[in-house]
Amino acid sequence: MNLKEWIFTTDHKRVGILYLIGSIAAFGVAGIMALLMRAELSAIGPTITADPTTYNVWLYAHGAIMILGFQIPALTGFFANYCVPLMIGAKDVAFPRVNALSVWLFYVGVILALLTFFIPDPPDVMWTGYPPYSTITAGNTALYSLTVLILGFASIIGGVNFLTTVAFMRAPGLGWGKLNVFVWCILGAFVMQLIFVPVLGSAVTLISLDKYLGTHFFDPAMGGDVLTYQNLFWFYSHPAVYVIFLPFIGVVFEIIATFARNPVFNYKAAVYGGIGGIVLISGEVWIHHLYVSGMPDWLRIGQMVSTLLISVPVGLLVISLVGTLYKGAISFETPMLYALGVVFLFLIGGLTGIPLAITSLTVNLSETYYVVGHFHYVMAVAGTFAIFGGVYYWFPKMSGRMYNELWGKIGFWITFVGVNIVFWTMMDIGARIGLPRRYYDYAQFPQAADAQHLMTIGAVILGVGFVIALLNWIIGAAKGPKAGDNPWGSPSLEWTTVSPPPHGNWPSPPSVSEEWSPYAHGKR
Amino acid sequence: MSHGGEAVHHGHGGHDEHEAWGTSVWPFVISFGVLALAVAFMLQFVYHKPFAAVIALGLGIPMILGGVAGWVSEAMGRGEGLSYGAMGWFILAEAMIFMSFFAAYWFMRLDVALVWPPAGTVPLPQVLPLVMTAVLVASSLTIHHAEHLMHAGDKRGFVRWLVVTILLGATFLGMSAYEWTHLIHDGFTIATNAFGTIFFSVTGLHGSHVVVGLAIFVAGLVPALMGNISEGFWRTASLYWHFVDIIWFFVVSQVYYW
Repeated sequence: MNLKEWIFTTDHKRVGILYLIGSIAAFGVAGIMALLMRAELSAIGPTITADPTTYNVWLYAHGAIMILGFQIPALTGFFANYCVPLMIGAKDVAFPRVNALSVWLFYVGVILALLTFFIPDPPDVMWTGYPPYSTITAGNTALYSLTVLILGFASIIGGVNFLTTVAFMRAPGLGWGKLNVFVWCILGAFVMQLIFVPVLGSAVTLISLDKYLGTHFFDPAMGGDVLTYQNLFWFYSHPAVYVIFLPFIGVVFEIIATFARNPVFNYKAAVYGGIGGIVLISGEVWIHHLYVSGMPDWLRIGQMVSTLLISVPVGLLVISLVGTLYKGAISFETPMLYALGVVFLFLIGGLTGIPLAITSLTVNLSETYYVVGHFHYVMAVAGTFAIFGGVYYWFPKMSGRMYNELWGKIGFWITFVGVNIVFWTMMDIGARIGLPRRYYDYAQFPQAADAQHLMTIGAVILGVGFVIALLNWIIGAAKGPKAGDNPWGSPSLEWTTVSPPPHGNWPSPPSVSEEWSPYAHGKR
Repeated sequence: MSHGGEAVHHGHGGHDEHEAWGTSVWPFVISFGVLALAVAFMLQFVYHKPFAAVIALGLGIPMILGGVAGWVSEAMGRGEGLSYGAMGWFILAEAMIFMSFFAAYWFMRLDVALVWPPAGTVPLPQVLPLVMTAVLVASSLTIHHAEHLMHAGDKRGFVRWLVVTILLGATFLGMSAYEWTHLIHDGFTIATNAFGTIFFSVTGLHGSHVVVGLAIFVAGLVPALMGNISEGFWRTASLYWHFVDIIWFFVVSQVYYW
């Protein structure tokens, strides 16, 4: 293997694998932050650090790196890069060099994020960076702003690249109605990235301008408005949930269709109603993050309605997933376990989100562990399960080899158990005790001590499950048995080339016939 | 098993022979140049170490400029057929950046402020912005004309009108710098009050786009002088310039004449 060919590569598959390596590394770091926080919270009083600011830095690093360094790059970086050109029968993306720029800017962003652990004044502003705290803290807010800006720019040029690629580089005969659901999901996600990321970039830039150049965007004493930041921030960061959700549900669609040997049920409703609906509604629900920041009642009610409305397109997608299973010849390989795990976890997360959308309930639940448990179910854990399932699913294509099925399943079940221990307990103490989130200590809530201890044990369990999966990939890629070109028997285009695919993907570009569809499984 | 090869057709070449893996060193160089700029920003504004900041800038700027130059010379004339459509998506993202700044402005002015403009604001020039508008619109027309000549095959005419466009853009920047200097001299800065914040950040944001547009033109002018004119490149660059021009109307109407 030639290292220079990897570092300077412009090939979409190698760029994708670089994205995967970087984002899994980020996942490891952010996961260690989570374990440190859980260790600190395992008992009342100082446990492993006596300095609350240190805890705040872990909190910042965990959130910022998990979302911006792991989930979004893994889903819109790795999966989009590796799978989209293969699925549409293209030799590469429209702008291979722009693609390489995007992956190296991502690495630069991650390097900046990791500087957090080496500078004397790390940011302690959470991943949300709300002013006025973020403009007066002794922490280095600029590090936060620059990290977000660079990762955001990498995302934008990636989005431009992929929208152009899918629009103009599909194989002959591959019409819009025959795209994999995953490709549609990536299109939806990137349209949202293009519209919303610049707003986040602007918001964090304004923070640094305020703090370091003396402007007054968020300074009420000089005519600024603190709430402007919350509006700008959530105008991106709520759709960011769908930027994560759409690709991960797309991965789940591919896996479930393959292992149920069924075409996607209700394809049109899922694509136009589900994905299209989410993209349309995504831009006008952000104000529900400001429910307790103060707003007129008409706005609060309107936001409640539009927030609840989101469950309609999401419901269409879930119906499609479940319908695809119906009368399928289902088998339960590791990727399928993860995909079904996502459906389960996502349903719990989605249904527990409804009380948070309803204004009368959310006032009581806001800022408690209930919220933390909810969004970890719906986005953090469901998304991560989809990423792991997707890596398992395309593992034979990427490496040409097979992972160990038994260890794959063991890893899944350990993680699954750990995740439910941690996050179910979290919602429970949030709703019953009202334990406030974010705090370094909870001496005023001694009744939460047992639950906190249990969650720390759960966190260790789920960590073990993830490590098993990672080892399984490393060992499988190095010395797993040869997998063959199409081990799952899927008709989707990425399985029609050799494993791993060469530069250019096919000896000559493929074209598809009238009766072909990525889900046209033959009779067995 | 399920599907065979019958629904998907592709040629039967040997799988072992394939093209060499595509590589380019420039994206890597530019990315780490950006890292150096980020570090320079923090050294200057967070840690107040100007000397170290200058060293970081001295590393970063050559890396970015060299990277862009290498990229342009490597890519000019190759595979830009799709860049026009891609620029459309990019402009959507750019428009949202301006939208965010305007949103911050509207929140301040319509939601928070009791009186506007706030105390400390000096009267803005009323004629200069009109002249700047005229110059920028003229530059949009000249690049359009240059593009027209390019399509007609008139290389010399194209270069001539391209140079006129660059000069008009530079004139615009010059007038903007003149205006800034005078306002700052009169004691109106980005830190004076909410309006100073908005005025300098919005006009600065727009000015930075003019700078980028000019940089694109200059980067393409060098090969163009040697006769290497890529239609895809110029169509795309000109679209970007028109966008910068159109955004100026919003800037001018919101910041100067409201």
